Amino acid sequence: MNLQNRGETRDMIYAKSGNNDFIQRITRSKLNGFIHSTFKHTLNIQCLEDGELYTIACKEIDNGPNTLIVDAASIKEWNVQVNDKVCTGNNHISLGNKLTITIERANCWEGILPTYPTDIFVLKKNVEQMKRHIETYGTGGGIKSKSFCESPFELEMSKMLHERTNLVLNELLNKQIQRALKHAVSLIGLGPGLTPSGDDFLVGLFTTFHLNGSYLSQHKEFCKEIEKVAKTATNDISYMALKKASDGKVRESIITLIEVLLTGEKEELILSLNNVLNIGSSSGTDIALGILAGLEINFKNGGLLNDCSSNS
Amino acid sequence: MSKINELFNEKLNVINVGIESFKDDMSKQHATVTHLEWTPPGRGKIEIIAALDKLEEPSVAKKIEAANKLAVERIVNSQPVLIGFDQAINVVPGMTKTTILHAGPPITWDKMNGPMKGGVTGAIVFEGLAKDLDEAAALAASGEITFSPCHEHNCVGSMAGVTSASMFMHIVENKTYGNIAYTNLSEQMSKILRMGANDESVINRLNWMRDVLGPILKEAMKLSSNGIDLRLMLAQALHMGDECHNRNIAGTTLLIQALTPLIIQTDFTTEQKKEVFEFVASSDYFSGPTWMALSKCALDAAHGIENSTIVTTMARNGVEFGIRVSGISGYTWFTGPAQKVIGPMFAGYKPEDSGLDIGDSAITETYGIGGFAMATAPAIVALVGGTIDDAINYSTKMKEITTTENQNVTIPLLNFMGISTGIDVQKVIQTGIMPIINTAIAHKDAGIGMIGAGITNPPVEAFEKAILALSETI
Amino acid sequence: MIVQVIVKANTYFDSVSLMSLSTKANQIDGVEQAIIAMGTEMNKEVISNVGLMTVEIEEAKTSDLMIIVKAENERICANALEEIEELLTKKNTTKGTSEARYSTIKSAAENIPEANLVVIAVNGAYAPREAKKALENNLHVMMFSDNVSVEDEIELKQLAHEKGLLMMGPDCGTAIIGNVALCFANAVRKGNIGIVGASGTGSQEISVRIHEFGGGITQLIGTGGRDLSKEVGGIMMLDGIKALEEDEATKVIVLVSKPPAPSVEEKVLAQIQLCTKPVVVWFVGGDEEKVTKAGGHFAKMSKEAALKAVLLAGADESKLNKRALNLPLIEEVRAKLTSEQKYIRGLFSGGTLCDEAMHIAMEKFSDVYSNIQREPEYRLKDVKVSQGHTFIDFGDDQFTQGKPHPMIDPSTRIERFIQEAKDPSVGVILMDFVLGFGAHEDPVGVMLPAIIEAKQLAESEGRHLEIIGYILGTELDSQNIEGQVNKLIAAGATHASSSQNAGLLAREFVVKGE
Repeated sequence: MNLQNRGETRDMIYAKSGNNDFIQRITRSKLNGFIHSTFKHTLNIQCLEDGELYTIACKEIDNGPNTLIVDAASIKEWNVQVNDKVCTGNNHISLGNKLTITIERANCWEGILPTYPTDIFVLKKNVEQMKRHIETYGTGGGIKSKSFCESPFELEMSKMLHERTNLVLNELLNKQIQRALKHAVSLIGLGPGLTPSGDDFLVGLFTTFHLNGSYLSQHKEFCKEIEKVAKTATNDISYMALKKASDGKVRESIITLIEVLLTGEKEELILSLNNVLNIGSSSGTDIALGILAGLEINFKNGGLLNDCSSNS
Repeated sequence: MSKINELFNEKLNVINVGIESFKDDMSKQHATVTHLEWTPPGRGKIEIIAALDKLEEPSVAKKIEAANKLAVERIVNSQPVLIGFDQAINVVPGMTKTTILHAGPPITWDKMNGPMKGGVTGAIVFEGLAKDLDEAAALAASGEITFSPCHEHNCVGSMAGVTSASMFMHIVENKTYGNIAYTNLSEQMSKILRMGANDESVINRLNWMRDVLGPILKEAMKLSSNGIDLRLMLAQALHMGDECHNRNIAGTTLLIQALTPLIIQTDFTTEQKKEVFEFVASSDYFSGPTWMALSKCALDAAHGIENSTIVTTMARNGVEFGIRVSGISGYTWFTGPAQKVIGPMFAGYKPEDSGLDIGDSAITETYGIGGFAMATAPAIVALVGGTIDDAINYSTKMKEITTTENQNVTIPLLNFMGISTGIDVQKVIQTGIMPIINTAIAHKDAGIGMIGAGITNPPVEAFEKAILALSETI
Repeated sequence: MIVQVIVKANTYFDSVSLMSLSTKANQIDGVEQAIIAMGTEMNKEVISNVGLMTVEIEEAKTSDLMIIVKAENERICANALEEIEELLTKKNTTKGTSEARYSTIKSAAENIPEANLVVIAVNGAYAPREAKKALENNLHVMMFSDNVSVEDEIELKQLAHEKGLLMMGPDCGTAIIGNVALCFANAVRKGNIGIVGASGTGSQEISVRIHEFGGGITQLIGTGGRDLSKEVGGIMMLDGIKALEEDEATKVIVLVSKPPAPSVEEKVLAQIQLCTKPVVVWFVGGDEEKVTKAGGHFAKMSKEAALKAVLLAGADESKLNKRALNLPLIEEVRAKLTSEQKYIRGLFSGGTLCDEAMHIAMEKFSDVYSNIQREPEYRLKDVKVSQGHTFIDFGDDQFTQGKPHPMIDPSTRIERFIQEAKDPSVGVILMDFVLGFGAHEDPVGVMLPAIIEAKQLAESEGRHLEIIGYILGTELDSQNIEGQVNKLIAAGATHASSSQNAGLLAREFVVKGE
């Protein structure tokens, strides 16, 4: 297949894989909308029917909620512009009359987070490993503070992120969910980058709420409450990530990391952790720190089996 | 949905022609706007616009497009190879002992400018047709010498382009289309025949070139089985920072690198070979004529294609600037007055000392190198009096008046854009953008030589005459 | 220390780019601090904490990118912001080399496949050729240029019609396409009313009134002044109506023009009859009966047209401020004017505004003269000398030869104004001030000294000179309409709230013995 084909016919691109929600939208119902934003390796579609963002990503990006991975190295040369129309039909999705993506060969991906283990020995060991690795290799400037701050703004930002994440964690540790909620809300939209660091941290944290059998998994409404506030408190792209994460839907690299954390070996752990750390600029590090924080709380507050066995 | 309704639903992307403040207003409203660098076509002359219009009638335009496509294909596909050296009398078509070839369109002795007269009289003395310069001038005026443009003998000649029977010539064969092009050897230095200098030192050098340099090169190339692929070498030279008109340091290095193994195998004395190497090393310009012959060789293959508006020659004789166009076959020249060359001068000379633009070397720009490839030679922007940005602008601007990019020869700085190829007379007239030419400046008087370097443009009249002729013939 | 801010609406860059941008921005010479972040409340809080809050930042939305620079002086700030913009846009270009420049429409069209419209404002002798190139490359055209032959216009419009493209103009000064005002137009709300206009200021007036009534515009298609002539046959207006009919966003269509040539009027009315959407017709001085018969909604005057349009588009009439005429004011001014002060002198930069005021006057007076009167009998013998009620369009050819349009260069009108102010038979001088894109940045301000001088002169001669000013514009226009109105009122002039009211007030002020 020739992606550079610029002949009379419109370019046709094959999707490699996509998450089941997205694929079903294309096959079973309609998806109309317009291009919301474009980046080097991804573009977002604003869907008019459900108001959600759907992402088309190049093959180097991992699967994720509402995401279709296509067989292309970069989307830059597609010439797709923000506000171009998007429509679907006949197992195709067409972008601004400029190119068409077919899902005929796409594998369906469904990301399911694993269950929290009863024996957390391996998990604890891996979490220690992960902490050390992030200390050395994580990207600063977000939740992880930078070695030196370039401006008073960065200094203040770092201070606020630090204070607020600590407040959230302390309250959660003390099982004060409502009070934790108040502080968590003040993290939304806080931080540098396209997806503010506070949001990324919450995405990581939300992930640990969806490990069934864990202490936090009985407080999933925490995530939904935050999601409601986030709609107006951060930008569309970051909100979508939070919204999906509040339902336990996260990117493949995050799911893999969790799986490896539960059972895997050190080498595997570092590989899968690096895949998460490489997300965005500091985003990956912020997400990973959110996961770590959530897991610590689960450790300290005990698994569900010990705590409220009547529920299971 | 109609196109109008499509527009309603698209993001506005405007091309703005004329009043620039309209662009600013639209930009403020987040529309994407491109402001055109527009000037009235054909300088607003009615007859020129009429000619353009005629050529743009769909049926005519189609013919032209096909012809131009063929023409540039031939330029791009040409593979000029250096196959040997020999004396003009032995190889150049129509050459006689009393013929003197010169640069540019045809010109008679009485009209020649200082540098060309200097070159001609020097050549007559060198050929032994006269004792001294005075006698040579008398002979030149007598009508016994045949003057003819280099271009009409498959040749090109740099600056005055003076080429006489016993001078050694590059022989460059077009491996794709079979035609051959010639040009004489670089005299290096600045006080040289082609610049109008003609004293004893000049003649002595010419003698040595005839007796030592030429024969060695001739013998050397005989040892080469396949010749030297000049296009390949040109592409390398551009990547090494030459534009191959005013900067030739890389090209010369590559050329002598290819010639050296051959030269050392010849039967000449080590002393003579050493002289050759020292001569080559004395000036970067050694390969300058080589690239002219390459260009000539490729462009001749594209000449004479019916209905083509592609320029195949730009050349100046110091008085007139002449162009030839592919669609008008044979030796029809469209001319206008030769222009001043603007650029820095050697110490002690002033702009008023400059002779007007002269030489066949604009064949390199016609091919797409030289001024057209300025972006590849940032090292010499100062030499031609400009900045790096100017250099990049020159190269990108030339895309507006050319037909294609030659992917065999690329400019790294412009994302490996191929050199702009196939100057289209229509586009020159339409845009008012003149081809940019890098060149040397010769002193206006005979006997002095090179005094500077710079850039110049052809006169628009040459293109106007060409478009009128094309509109009548196509 | 100076803080400057740019807020880029709905702008998304990936985090990696934002970070590297932020780092680079902080390294620009003379910059103390540069911040690049999304406009969330939380980020604003941080900014506020470090004392850099400004109004612009306050208003930034979560989807906006905020760029804030703190530096020693304004120059450094501005330079830094410019540099940051450059860094941002560099990320956006695909080619990575210096900005592409094109000399011909063809090469621009080939290199910018997204291009969809060409605005042509070059000497009329060359404009048709460029327009043809644009149409051949499937680009819509707005031609601002005038002095184009009617033959060329017909050829271009026919070509555009065949290709389904817009050919707005020649001599088209006003259009709004996809919410972008082109050439001379005002910043108005997006809405559900589409306009096809053969007259520029007429279309501007309608769009501004609709905006004031709370309505908005989908598209404003200009046709050029000659479109409805017998020769051209209304090609663009007919295509424009069709396109707006097919446009989902458009609920109501408004047509603005002088009365068309009879043969063209027939075609336009036939199309109105077929049109599935309500069509409001304002043909200045046109025939109500024919329009109504064709199922159109006739409007005699501009505000009336706009009002009908917004009501048809679903506005609640009870909630509209219709800006009725100020009757006590009329009594007051009538009382101030002497019996000799009989005449109106209308000095206009907008042709249709002049036309409307003139037609309003013609309803009550017979001696109405103008340089744009259709009846030769009432055309000014010498455009430099007023007679009776005189309405002058300074945008007409007689005044613009070799000079810019009065909307840009008001000098001719100022001279004439002083001349009229000295005439004791003049009761009212009526003037328009056009704001919006393309127009003068302070049209009232340049007229102000003359107004004050005229008022003083009249007073010293013991007469009251009534000066009415109408300011065509919206609060979204860059000229600050409120400031313009205030200047006008401060100088002692009467501010009219619409072109229609301006015409009516002028007429009523000089009516004697009613």
